[in-house]
Amino acid sequence: MTGNDIVDMQVAATESNWRRKGFTEKIFSLQEQQYINNAALPDAMVWRLWTMKESAYKIYTRQYGGRFFTPKKFRCILLTETTGLVRFNNIAYQTTTVNAKDHVYTIARTEGAERVEFINSCFPLPKTDLSKQQQFIYKKIIACYHSITGELKKNISVNKDKNGIPFLNCNSNLQIPVSITHHGHFAAFTIH
Amino acid sequence: MTKEELIDKLKGIVKPYVKNEEGFNNLDENTDFLNDLKINSANLVDVILDIENEFDIIIDNESMEKMLHVKAAMEIINAKLSEK
Repeated sequence: MTGNDIVDMQVAATESNWRRKGFTEKIFSLQEQQYINNAALPDAMVWRLWTMKESAYKIYTRQYGGRFFTPKKFRCILLTETTGLVRFNNIAYQTTTVNAKDHVYTIARTEGAERVEFINSCFPLPKTDLSKQQQFIYKKIIACYHSITGELKKNISVNKDKNGIPFLNCNSNLQIPVSITHHGHFAAFTIH
Repeated sequence: MTKEELIDKLKGIVKPYVKNEEGFNNLDENTDFLNDLKINSANLVDVILDIENEFDIIIDNESMEKMLHVKAAMEIINAKLSEK
């Protein structure tokens, strides 16, 4: 199972002032604050840690349900420049982060799932309103699944369950988890 | 503070972070910060810090966990104010 989260760096710089008093203490552990203080690029580190937490939260809520806001309890451990672990309630998720100049993108996986193949796509978004962007992303997911499986597009749809968790439905009997993220001018999805 | 006054104060606090104006215009107790107002989750931290500053209270981690909609925010603010 996968979860993902993306941050548009330019938009984040205008939307979020993580340097404001109290901000980092509310969401980051002491260890994570150390990572930020020691980072050559603190902004990139803040959003790397944040997307790690968010992507792990997405898997957790898909697995166990519920909705809550406890970013600080999702503890990040950095392993390499790109990989890490997020621990929450004795569960660990593995993460891989792409730290590009204009965006930070993390995919989290359930532990032991590193050999399981999944589809991943990250792309720029047209500058329109939120609802049109959602349609654009859904179309991309359907086109991607169509090109890989050969299933007819008319038989593929993307739907959210009552908790707002997205799934891809195919031929009305097959239901596959999809994780979707968008921020500013970037979006991404994973299937499986 | 009346319920209406509290909702008005909250409206002022969340306004800069709202991405869905329609949700904002219809804001009431049942409004969800993320789903209805499309506030991004990093800005939810700002909302919480702004509430702390506005009401001069501290929102601990346990309370923060529930801060997903207006109703929870109102309950938490009232509880913290009564502790003062």
